[in-house]
Amino acid sequence: MPESDAQHLTFKLVYYGPAQSGKTTNLLRLHDLLAPELKGEVMTMETKDDRTLFFDLLPLGFRAPSGLLIKFRLFTVPGQVAHDGTRKAVLSRADGVVFVADADRAQETNNGESFQSLADNCARVGLDFEHLAMVVQFNKCDLPGAVPETEIRERWSAAPWPLVFAIALNGQGVETTFELLIRTVYRNFCQKLKLQSAHGLSEDAFVAGALGKNA
Amino acid sequence: MTLSFDHEWRLDELLDGASQEKIGPALGELLGGDFSITDDAGRTLWGQPVPEARREPLILELEPVGYLLSRTASAAALIAARNLMHVLLRAEIRFKMASTLHLESVAEDFESLKREHARLIESEARYKTLSAELEARVKKQVGDLEERKQMLYEAEKLASVGQLAAGMAHEINNPLGFVRSNLSTFEKYLGKFAELKSHPGSLAESWQRLDLDFILEDSVDLLHDSAKGMERIARIVADLKAFSNVDRASEEYTDLNHCLREAVSMVEAQMPPGVHFRFDLLPLPSIVCLPGHINQLFFNVIRNAVLAIADSGRPGEVKISSEADEAGIHIRIHDSGVGMTAEQIEHAFEPFYTTRPVGSGVGLGLATARNVVQAHSGRISLDSQPDVGTTVSLFFPTPP
Repeated sequence: MPESDAQHLTFKLVYYGPAQSGKTTNLLRLHDLLAPELKGEVMTMETKDDRTLFFDLLPLGFRAPSGLLIKFRLFTVPGQVAHDGTRKAVLSRADGVVFVADADRAQETNNGESFQSLADNCARVGLDFEHLAMVVQFNKCDLPGAVPETEIRERWSAAPWPLVFAIALNGQGVETTFELLIRTVYRNFCQKLKLQSAHGLSEDAFVAGALGKNA
Repeated sequence: MTLSFDHEWRLDELLDGASQEKIGPALGELLGGDFSITDDAGRTLWGQPVPEARREPLILELEPVGYLLSRTASAAALIAARNLMHVLLRAEIRFKMASTLHLESVAEDFESLKREHARLIESEARYKTLSAELEARVKKQVGDLEERKQMLYEAEKLASVGQLAAGMAHEINNPLGFVRSNLSTFEKYLGKFAELKSHPGSLAESWQRLDLDFILEDSVDLLHDSAKGMERIARIVADLKAFSNVDRASEEYTDLNHCLREAVSMVEAQMPPGVHFRFDLLPLPSIVCLPGHINQLFFNVIRNAVLAIADSGRPGEVKISSEADEAGIHIRIHDSGVGMTAEQIEHAFEPFYTTRPVGSGVGLGLATARNVVQAHSGRISLDSQPDVGTTVSLFFPTPP
C-alpha cells in the first residue's frame, strides 16, 4: 500500500532481477527520457566496479488536479546472490515490480533463480505475489546470444504478466516497461485511493503525469 | 521500531545537533553574519530567522526538506551556500540510507539464520526422538528374540528329557516285563512242588507225574533269564548315572594311556571273533580328570568300534593312537567296520539314538561320551564312511 497523507501519495516501484541484467541502466535511461513535473537526480550507490551495492533511487512526481502530489520512487535491488538480505529490505513495501531478465541464453539459469527468489522474498516481506503489479522485461535483446522473442513469448504464454523486449542501453523498451507498470499500479489502487473519484485522475492522465507527456 | 531506510528523511534527521554546531557558525561567517536553517514545516533548526530574510529551498528528491535563510547574504552567495548544503546533505542521506538498509538486511539475515537454526534444532530433536524410539524398539526386539531363544532351548531340553524318559521307559520296561512273567511262572512252579507233599504214591512216581524234571530245569532258566534282565536294568541305570554325572568321583592325576588299556581289557572280555587291536600310544602328560568317567568314555567308544567290525561280518582291526602336543592330548580310535551314513553321524551324539535292535543297544554310548569329554573341556568328533570305517577323534587340553 502506498504511503500517503493529505497532500502526498508515494508509490514504491522496485526493479528486480539477476546481477548485471540492466536494472540501474533502466533507471538512468528513464531519468533521461521522462519529463514529469518533478524529477530528482538518480541516487546511485555503486561499488568501484559499477555493481550496485545497496540500491539506486530515482524520484519522480506530478500533481493531480486535486492538488495531491503523486510521487514515484524507483528503486533497484542489488542483483548479486550474496545480497539477499538487502534485496528483501528494498523489496519490502513495494507497490509494483519490474523483473529485468537477461535475454542472453547463457543467463537463463540466473533468470530462473532470481525469479524464484523474487517469489520467495515477496512471501517473506508480506507481498501478495499473485496480485502484485508486475512487468517482465527481457533486456539485451540485441545480443547475438539472445533467446528469440517468439521462444520467450511461447514460454511465458501462461504467465499473467506483460512482457517487454528491451535494449536498455539505448533506451529501447525502457519507457514502455515503466508505462505498463504504472498502468497496472493505477488499476490496482484506483478504487482504494479514490484516484478518479476524489482526485480527478483517469488512467491516461495518471500515465501522462508520470511520463511527463500530454495524454 | 526504527525507521525504514526508504522513508522520507527529515532535515533534522540528516542534520543532528553536532553537525548544526559545525555548519551553522561556518556558514554564518561566510554569509555576512546572519544565517539560519528551518525545516519544511518552518521550524527553526539553527539561528533566528527573520521575515525579511532571503530564502533558498533545500531539495534532495522532489520537494524541499528545509530552507536556508540569510538577511545579510547576496542571492548568489546564498545559492552557493545552498549548493554546498546539497553536497553535504546528499552525502549524509546516502550514508544514512545505506547504513539503515545495511542494519535492516543484517537483521533480516540474522532472522533467516535464526529461523534456520530453529529448524535445525527441531529436526535434531526429531532425530533424537527417532533414534531413542529405534533404540527402544531394537532393545525390545532383542529381548523378544532372547526370550524366544530361551523358550526354544527349554522346549528342546524338555523334548530331549522326554526322549530320554521314553527311551528309559522302553529299555527298562522290556526286561521288567519278562522278569515279571518269569516270576509269575516260577510262582506256579512252586505250587507244583507244594503239591508233591500231598500227592499219593511214591515220591519218584509223583515226581514223574508232576513232570518236575522239566519244571526244575525251566525254573533255573527262568531265574537265570530274570537275573540277566535285572542286570540289563542295572546297566542302564549305571549308564544313566554316568551320563548325568550323578556319582561324581574325585579327580585324580591320570595317564590316559592307562585308561585306554583298562577300557580295552574290559572290552576284550566279551570280544567277538575276528577283531584285533593295534596300539600306537606315545607318552602322554598326566592330566587331572575323573578316571571312572574317562574309562566309561573309552569303553563306550572302543565297544562301538568292536561292534562295528562285528556288524561288517569280516575280520577287522581297531587302531588306537595317542599323542600330545603343546595344546593338549589327541586320541584317535579307528575301526575298519561298517561305517556310518551322513544322517547317522548327524544324530550320533543324541541320547537314545541307536541303530541296533531293541534290547541290544540303549543309544547312550556316544551321548555319555560327549558329556564326559565336555566335562573335561575337551572335544570329540566323528569321521566315517559307510563300509570303510569310522574314526573317533578326541582332544583333551592340557593346562599351559
